[in-house]
Formats: sequence, structure tokens, C-alpha cells
Amino acid sequence: MMGEWSSGEGLQQHMQSHGSVPRPVSNPPMEHRFMPYQNNGGTVFAVAGPTYAVAMADTRLSSGMRILSRNTTKCTQLTSKCVVLTGGMQAEMVELHKRMKILITQYEHAHRREPSVNAVAQLLSTRLYFKRFFPYYTFNVVVGLDEEGKGAVYGYDAIGSFERIPYVSQGTGAELVTSVLDNQIGKTNQTKQLEPLDKTDLIDLAKDVIAAAGERDIYTGDYAEVYVIDETGVNKSKVDLRKE
Amino acid sequence: MFATRSEYDRGVNTFSPEGRLFQVEYAIEAVKLGSTAVGIQTSEGVILAVERRLASPLVVPSSIEKIYELDYHIGCAMSGLIADARTLADHARTECANHFFTFNERMSTESCVHAISDLALDFSDVADRRDRKKLMSRPFGVSLLVAGVDDDGPSLWKTDPTGTYSKCTAAAIGSASESAQGTLQEQYNKSMTLKEAEDLAVTILKQVMEEKLTKSNAEIASVSMDTKRYHLYTPDELQTIIDRVFPQGISTEPGT
Amino acid sequence: MPVDYVETLVAQKGAGFVFDNYQRNQFLASSDPQAFKMPDLKKTGTTICGVVCDGGVVLGADTRATAGDIVADKNCEKLHKMADNICCAGAGTAADLEHTTKKFAADLELMRLTLHRTPRVGTAVTMLSQHLFRYMGYVGCALVMGGVDPTGPSLYMIYPHGSTDRLPFASMGSGSLAAMSMLETGYKDDMTIEEGKKLVSEAILAGITNDLGSGGQVDLCVVTKDAYTMHRNIMAPYPRTRIPKPVMFPTGTTTVLEEVKMLKGRLEVTDADVEMRDA
Repeated sequence: MMGEWSSGEGLQQHMQSHGSVPRPVSNPPMEHRFMPYQNNGGTVFAVAGPTYAVAMADTRLSSGMRILSRNTTKCTQLTSKCVVLTGGMQAEMVELHKRMKILITQYEHAHRREPSVNAVAQLLSTRLYFKRFFPYYTFNVVVGLDEEGKGAVYGYDAIGSFERIPYVSQGTGAELVTSVLDNQIGKTNQTKQLEPLDKTDLIDLAKDVIAAAGERDIYTGDYAEVYVIDETGVNKSKVDLRKE
Repeated sequence: MFATRSEYDRGVNTFSPEGRLFQVEYAIEAVKLGSTAVGIQTSEGVILAVERRLASPLVVPSSIEKIYELDYHIGCAMSGLIADARTLADHARTECANHFFTFNERMSTESCVHAISDLALDFSDVADRRDRKKLMSRPFGVSLLVAGVDDDGPSLWKTDPTGTYSKCTAAAIGSASESAQGTLQEQYNKSMTLKEAEDLAVTILKQVMEEKLTKSNAEIASVSMDTKRYHLYTPDELQTIIDRVFPQGISTEPGT
Repeated sequence: MPVDYVETLVAQKGAGFVFDNYQRNQFLASSDPQAFKMPDLKKTGTTICGVVCDGGVVLGADTRATAGDIVADKNCEKLHKMADNICCAGAGTAADLEHTTKKFAADLELMRLTLHRTPRVGTAVTMLSQHLFRYMGYVGCALVMGGVDPTGPSLYMIYPHGSTDRLPFASMGSGSLAAMSMLETGYKDDMTIEEGKKLVSEAILAGITNDLGSGGQVDLCVVTKDAYTMHRNIMAPYPRTRIPKPVMFPTGTTTVLEEVKMLKGRLEVTDADVEMRDA
């Protein structure tokens, strides 16, 4: 993984030449580039149910081939029924989550109530697009219960394009997770369909899915935080993943 | 007293020794010269009604606007200086639009009223630190009745030049506000329908207006729970209400 | 420094080094970086190491094979048998390691038959380093080679460009720093084989735990004067945390588009666009 600054010096070779051999440029210009971004790895995903929503994120923080931390959260609870989960660069995530918490506190002071999940989702989009030309290197999921008590999941790109969808995954294991969720929840390729999963089965499936991502994605592992959001509020638990 | 006043009523930034801001008090006086506006809140929605004072028969009545739509679900009636009211309405519209843009939800009525009142005392000849262009160098000479429907149901609010706002079940502002308030206190009850509120509003207007109430010299608007929308009545809709309240027609004698 | 000879060589076409291709590549790369992209080097994460003990050597490796960020094989073999008395642990490009070690294992066997001698570890190292030098690093092999010959036990490192080191303990691969930290802490001269096995296991375990490119199980190989012993999966430090619930699909879940029947060795194709198969 690249540091903040890198130079292209090593790419250019020096060479002595004699006689008729053409002489290559001996002092090539050195290239400097600003590279402020880094991918710290990790997988996050969420699934909406009829009266609840399940969200999941691993707690590994990596850089290149190294583990920086085995227990770093990628989730922040923003309201009594809303959580944001972020993949991508950890420093950007910390900044974004802090900013969101401040904005939501300001909303609560201005309007004397908690923002709905819908309002939080739109707010995050506006904040991300505000930095359109120097974006937060983050890939977000907002999950919670909407004003009708239904599970709500929103997926984003780094610059604020977003959509409410039944399930979404982000981060280094996103492709692995999406394939299972497409099959087990989207059921896009099946002509005969089983009963939809109940709440317990859905939570179990989500745990299976993050464990499976931990098996094959080197940046996913250590622990997974499990958020179940229902009429009782936000319930958090943890499961073990492989530590290798 | 008179001597004190003449010394302390020049600047907008200076309290009198008795602790009064005369310029703000004068702004309240300006409202008392304005046309009368009435607001009535019921469980089915809110009614706003104002009289249109036409300075001359040559003025086209529809060009005088005293009720404004602030957002799909909020409206306001004014009394006082029309230009000041427009400044406040424009500000409120911007705040509502901005809230919708940022949160994908309609602004609550109270937040909108709060946003309007934030501007009320935002005057002085000193530019602030943010280098913002000053909107005003004097108090706004206007009072507003703001009606809206939100998650908490229909509500009616009254603002004045001091930036104070209060929630009302029924309210009147402007030159005949005292007599209108009296009638409201006698006739308002909590279980009124929106239709009954329309009738009461028109009755009061007729009572306080010097000219004969017609479909073109008054304005009436509603924000109803059914539609959750602001609606400004057309002259024909207003005529229907007038005909319903005064089946015998209105006598030309004012104030009867 | 006199450089006349270079000009003489250049005058005789074909003699000496020719840098035409280098210049051609530079030209292509600078003219249009989009159209001509230099191939990226492949690097596989691994932890391998070895220790010289009293009367033998111990080599170890993890078992993870990666393809970029993805674990391609959770239990591959990275310890290669070169001869009855030589073992080689490999890190780098999987195909290069497989083919290079196999080729030199065969060469060493032919040498043994020709000379009626067990090959020396130093011989194997020289052969490999000459091969790798010839390929200028493009054959991606980073090796730890150890064995026992008439000179006693010995351990070498060989780098992809062909340089070599002879050392009492060594590690290679992306997990080499993690492994080396354990070796530096725990190494003593003249350890017993058992002590060596323990130290190498700990070093590989450090790689598995702390290096994302390494994982899976620990493999060990012990070479002494008398025996070559392979200990496959001697440690399984991180077992599965969760066995996923099996998912059952009812028959007919997938649409049958076309049915192929075998009829007396002849294929018959039936169109069945919307038909479901019953089983």
C-alpha cells in the first residue's frame, strides 16, 4: 500500500552510452504525486427485514499485508434506531462518523426530535457530495427502522449516490458477501422459492456470510459486530472470526 | 418620559435606561397600522384570512398579496410592511427548501417559525464576523401568522418584530386585531371544523373591514390535514364562503 | 576508465550486451502508457523459515496461497523435497517455485546417479542461484534451502535475483519479519531437533497470525543424517469459527432450458424452454 507521497524515480534507469548507441535521457524528471488515500480493508453489510434490520461488520484494520488492529469498530450508532457502517479508509470513516454525530445533534437541538432514518440517509448523501472533488474514501451503509417501523437499508458510493435497497455490502469482502445475499435473499435466479427467512435464520445467515468472507478475504477477520435493530432499539453483539 | 424617549429612540442598538428598545416598539406600532389578518387552527387544519386594503379603485386587487406559501405544507399571513414580510417569507422559503434538500423531509412548522424569528433582531449597522451582507439596518415592521401541517398535526404561530413567537389556537394581527381577538375568544372552540373556521374568519373580516367584503378585497388560505398542503382560495371559492355566511348579502354599511 | 572495448564490441554486431530491447520498451512505455503497459510483477504472501540444529536442519512453512486479496488455497504445500537429504521451502510466484524445484530435484537425482554420491546442499544452492541469476529476477523464487551432507547440516537463503546467504537461521516471504522476530528471540547454537521444531513452529505461527499473506496450518520438515521427515499440518492454530448452515434447494429451482439424453451412444437434444425437470 502506498504512503502519502511517492516518487517515480526508481522507474527510470540510468545508462551510459558510447559511440553510435543513442543516449537515453540521463536525468529524467522526477514525478511526485499526492496520494492521501489508503484502503484499510474490512467488510460491512446489512439486510432489511419486515420489522427489523440486521447489520454486520468485521473489526480488522489492515494496511498492506499487516494487521494494524484486531478490534476496531466500523460502526457508529447515530440515533436510537439508526447505525452507519463504513468500509474503505479508517481515518476518513472516523471523521465522517464524527461529523454525522455532530450534525444529528444539531438537528435534535433545532427540531426537538430525533431525525428519521430517511433524514439521516439524505444527510449523509449531502455530506458526501459536499466533498465531491476531494471525497471521503468511504463506502457506507445506513441501516435502521423507518417511520413505519420497517427495516431500512441504504447503500452509498463515495460521493453520495445512494439508494434504499433490501440488502447491501461494502468493503474488501463485498463481492463474496453479495453473491450469497443475491442467492439467499434476492433469489434472483430461482424459479421455485423457499419461504423467506425468519429473523433468527436471517441473523444466523448473516453470521455465516461474514464468517465465509473471513475464510477467503485476507482483510476480513478477527471479530464481527452484529447489530440487530428492531422495536426494542439497537442490539449489539459480537462473534468470533478467524484471527489468521 | 418624553425627553428620555427622544434621546434613546435614535439607535437600534441602544437600550433606554428603563430597559426598552424604542425602535423595536415602534416597529410593533407599524404592525398596528397594517391590515387585519386572522388565523384559526382546528383539528382538520388551519385557516388564514386577510383583508386587502385597496388604496384606489385603479389598483388591480390580485396584485396585492398578503398570504404567502412558504413550502407545500406551510403558509403565512402578514400585517405591516409588505416589503419586510416578503424578505422574511423569502428567508423562510429558503430555509424550508434547504431542509428538504438536506434531510429529504418537510420542515416542521415550528422550525420554520424559528427560522423566521432568527432574522427578526438580525439588524444593526455593524457587519458581523462572517462578512455576511446585512439584510436590514432596522427592525422588521411586520407580524406574521404562520400556519402549517406536520407530524404533530396542524398548528398556528404568531411572530412579531421582537422575534418572539407563540403558538396559538386562533390569533389576529393588524389594525383591528383587538376587536378580532375579542370575537375569536367568544366564538372559537376546539372542536370546530375547517368549514366552521372558514365561516368564522370571513365573519370577522366582514366585521373589521371598512369597505364592503367582496371576493376581491380579501384573501383566504388553508393548510388542511386531508391534503397536508397549503391552498390559496380562488376568488370564486371565497365568494362561495361569503354567500354561505351571508345568504342575504352584505349591507354596504361598514362594521355591522 | 578506458571504454574503448565497449565501442569495439558495439562495432561487432551481436557481441556483448545489447540494450535495444530496453530502449524499445522505454520508448513504447513513454509514447502511450495506455496502449503499452509493462506487466505487473506477481508476489505471493508466504512465511517460510529454517533453523540449523545439532545434527540436522528444521524447515517450516505456512499453507496459504493467495491471488491478490483472495485466499486461493487454504492448505497448499510449500516445502519441496529436493533430494533424500535436502529440503527447500519456497516463497514467491507459485508456478515458478513448482517448476524450478521440480527441475532441480530431477537434476540432483541425475547427478547422484552419475557420481554415486549424495548431492551436497551447496551444490544445489549454486545450481539454483545460477539459474535464477540468468533469469534476472523474472523467475520469482525466494528460497530457504537446508539439508545434511558430509560437511554436516547447513542452511541457505536464495533470492530471486540469484544472490545467496549461508546462515544458522533464515526466513523469507511477506511474513519473514514476523518469523524473524521469533527466530532472533529464540535461536541458540546447537539446539536439539525438538527445540528446533518448536522454534520453527513458533516462527511460522507468528507469520500466520500477523501477516495477512500467510495463514492456514504449519508444515515442518526435519532433515538429519539418517532421515528426511515431513510433518504435514503439524499445527492448526486457527480452526474454523463457524460451520455454515447447509442450504437446500428444492428440485426445479433452476429452469431447464434444454435436455440432453444418451440414446445408444447417440446424443439427443430436446428443447424444453419452460419445462421443469422432475426428479
